[in-house]
Amino acid sequence: MDPTTAMYVAQGIHGLAYGMVLFLVASGLTMIFGMMGILNLAHASFFMLSAYFCYQFLSITGNFWAALLLAPVATAFFGVLLERFLLRKIHAFGHVGELILTVGVSLVILAGVKIFWGTESLPVKVPPILHGLVTIKGLDYPIYRLFVIGLALVVLAIMALLLYKTRLGKIVRAGVSDADMVNALGINMPLVFMFVFGVGTWLAGVAGVAIAPILTVFPGLADQMGMDAFIVVVTGGFGSLKGAFIVSLIFGELSAYGVQFFSQLAPVLMFLFMAIVLIIKPMGLFGERE
Amino acid sequence: MTNKIMKWVSWSVFLAFLAVYPKLFGIYYTNVFVTFAIFALYAVTLNLLLGYTGLLSFGHAMFFGAGGYGTALVLTHMKGVSLSMALMTGFLSAVGLALILCPIMVRVSGTAFAMLHLAFGQLMYVLSLKLRSITGGEDGIGGFPIPSFTIPGIVFVNMKAPENFYYFAIAVLGASIWMLWFFTKTPFGSIQVGVRDNAMRIDYLGFKVPQTKAVVYIVAGGFAGVAGSISAMFHNLVSADGALHILNSFVPVMMTMIGGIGSFFGPIWGAAIFQVIEELTSRYTQRVELVVGLILILVIMFTPMGFVGILRSIKQKWTTYKIRRKS
Amino acid sequence: MNILETKGLYHDFSKLQVLFDVNLQVKEGERHAVIGPNGAGKTTLFNVITGTYHPSRGQVFFKGKEVTGARPHEMTRLGMGRSFQITSTFGRLTAFQNIRLAILSKKGIRFQFFRKVDSMQAITEETDQVLKRINLDRERNIPASMLSYGKHRALEISLALATDPDLVMLDEPTAGMSKDETHYAVQLIRRLTEGKTLVIIEHDMDVVFSLADRITVLHYGQILATGSPFEIRENQAVKDAYLGALEV
Ligand SMILES: Nc1ncnc2c1ncn2[C@@H]1O[C@H](COP(=O)(O)OP(=O)(O)OP(=O)(O)O)[C@@H](O)[C@H]1O
Ligand SMILES: [Mg+2]
Repeated sequence: MDPTTAMYVAQGIHGLAYGMVLFLVASGLTMIFGMMGILNLAHASFFMLSAYFCYQFLSITGNFWAALLLAPVATAFFGVLLERFLLRKIHAFGHVGELILTVGVSLVILAGVKIFWGTESLPVKVPPILHGLVTIKGLDYPIYRLFVIGLALVVLAIMALLLYKTRLGKIVRAGVSDADMVNALGINMPLVFMFVFGVGTWLAGVAGVAIAPILTVFPGLADQMGMDAFIVVVTGGFGSLKGAFIVSLIFGELSAYGVQFFSQLAPVLMFLFMAIVLIIKPMGLFGERE
Repeated sequence: MTNKIMKWVSWSVFLAFLAVYPKLFGIYYTNVFVTFAIFALYAVTLNLLLGYTGLLSFGHAMFFGAGGYGTALVLTHMKGVSLSMALMTGFLSAVGLALILCPIMVRVSGTAFAMLHLAFGQLMYVLSLKLRSITGGEDGIGGFPIPSFTIPGIVFVNMKAPENFYYFAIAVLGASIWMLWFFTKTPFGSIQVGVRDNAMRIDYLGFKVPQTKAVVYIVAGGFAGVAGSISAMFHNLVSADGALHILNSFVPVMMTMIGGIGSFFGPIWGAAIFQVIEELTSRYTQRVELVVGLILILVIMFTPMGFVGILRSIKQKWTTYKIRRKS
Repeated sequence: MNILETKGLYHDFSKLQVLFDVNLQVKEGERHAVIGPNGAGKTTLFNVITGTYHPSRGQVFFKGKEVTGARPHEMTRLGMGRSFQITSTFGRLTAFQNIRLAILSKKGIRFQFFRKVDSMQAITEETDQVLKRINLDRERNIPASMLSYGKHRALEISLALATDPDLVMLDEPTAGMSKDETHYAVQLIRRLTEGKTLVIIEHDMDVVFSLADRITVLHYGQILATGSPFEIRENQAVKDAYLGALEV
């Protein structure tokens, strides 16, 4: 294969890996929104927090796999705390209150990581087995990116099993499309909410660990991913997992090839895409409700 | 009758106080006051959307920035621009931006409105960093000439002197706030509040909801631009981080929440309280985010109606107390 | 002459067919009642006529002009007023401010930025007159959401009437009212719709038969019968489908 094609393929893999990570973050965001009507503006901060946890666990245990397992769980724990002790108390004040509260939380998390870890970029080393390139049919693929894609697929498979094979999953799916209906069925919704919030932040946590070795860990991480994830959710349609998936992949590729062709204005491309979609469909590609 | 006299007296005292303020408190607190007044207007424009129309924006900084960049650019690149023209350019830049965005924005509300503003606000921020040749990138635009206030042959006031700039800024910002207050008192203002409470019924009463929202949106954006324009001339600088950063979108939201979302003057109280908090904390800590974040959380958890809400409940308790004592 | 007419009106909510081939005719000046069991599609019919929804098929004519798919504010400006089954006022505004919005609309005062609304004497007076007429002058400065149920319903109905429409469409104005409140509300409606055309959705058969000149029966989204109260009472199909169950 000639070098140009090889380069395109490599970019494609990069885009796919980023798109998958993006989807992990965006799916949590859109799930929480669909179920509870809460747009968690601190969602990307949890993603970043998990990357820092990963760095911390790694420097204590020296084991990447342990960090991969523990960091998202620790993150989800904080997510559940947020839901249980803050968000639930201000439910009566409506969406404006929730948005403002989660902005406040995101700022506190940002200040927190700066206090504990400083503002430097912290490197995260992956184990040797994930290093380097693998050659398939004469093409070189970076192993870690392939691992990220694989990891995301495994997480998705687990999520799919959870959503489609368990009773809880059924409740959650029904809740995402019609929360009032499920409410009326006399199910213990507060508990389900807490669970959904936990799973949502856990997904962001997995993404945080996955991205840490690629981008390193620094306080601007949340902004960068947060913006992309919000654009995905807005464009894909609030509360639509399908929309989030499709748009995540489009954006992954858009940013990968965008860097190639218009390096300066790559971020602008995404906004442009969003603007066009919203002008045609104000509620996003697959969104139907506010 | 006595009411009217009281009103006149208190207004005269207030204006006299503003007039002698620089003499009384010196240059440092004069500048603090200008900063406060800029944010007071900025927060009032946000509340026009949030409190009066029920639209929460997380990207209001783009109008503030449009005003600042508009003024800075015209002063940098054109010779002989007067003070009022510079201000007008800032206002019109923000109005222009609002005009471009309003066809999309009037069709959404609630979370979608907030998110779209977050996104477009960030877009402006990124653009101002990337379009270096126009905006000066991270450094922004600074050191542009500040025109004097002149009426040929009659008045010449040099705006480089902080005290003179104080009077100019206070006059413009005060007049803007008064105009916005008047705006909320007009028939249109009452329709606007109706849109907040029940947009569907406003439609059924024969008013056009999108057009109403558009007018409010453009007015709020334009006057945020005035605040940004004054700010640019005040600092003789406009930069991406100073004007367009997302924190600058959160600040007016926070001021409005602190002051009280349910009243016109709430945001002004909020701006004052915020200014005091900032004066106090900036001496001890660099952690703006922490302070801003904690304030947002505490206010929303414990006093969702803000300072004005507290005042009102105290007043209510006081009247019930008096009634009880009588009986 | 028909002031309102629908021709072959259909409406569906993603697969759920709610209206089938509805041909409604309302004569100018009459009091026309629309009745039918719960879920028959009465409110949906109102929504399609007044512009909440665009019909899936069919046409709507108002005052001889086709208005299919016109928006609510357009219908209001053409002279239609509508009240809601579920009270829909401006909750945080006072009773006075609620009615004043309707008066402003009636006077065509919309984009007026140069006068204070409080200093518009004529508007204030007219609003106060309306409040007096509906017996809400004592609750003038109370926020709508704090009004008693009966008064809140009266405000709801008056919002539809205060723009001085030629055709008034009331969706179950007496829903949830006590016997006394209902009696009072019916008198109010009778008085306020004097000289206007009225279309009213109503479940209370006493109200329907005492108020209406003509009745349309809607059943599973289709018109079962239209006629005078006497004809409807004697109509076998109506008896079988609906009135029988109510033992009228
Ligand atoms: N927005 C909507 N989306 C989906 N289905 C709807 C919607 N509105 C009404 N329906 C359905 O359409 C049917 C007719 O409803 P509609 O409210 O018009 O009935 P109605 O005759 O007014 O009943 P009621 O006497 O209870 O007020 C019902 O089956 C209802 O569930
Ligand atoms: Mg109904």
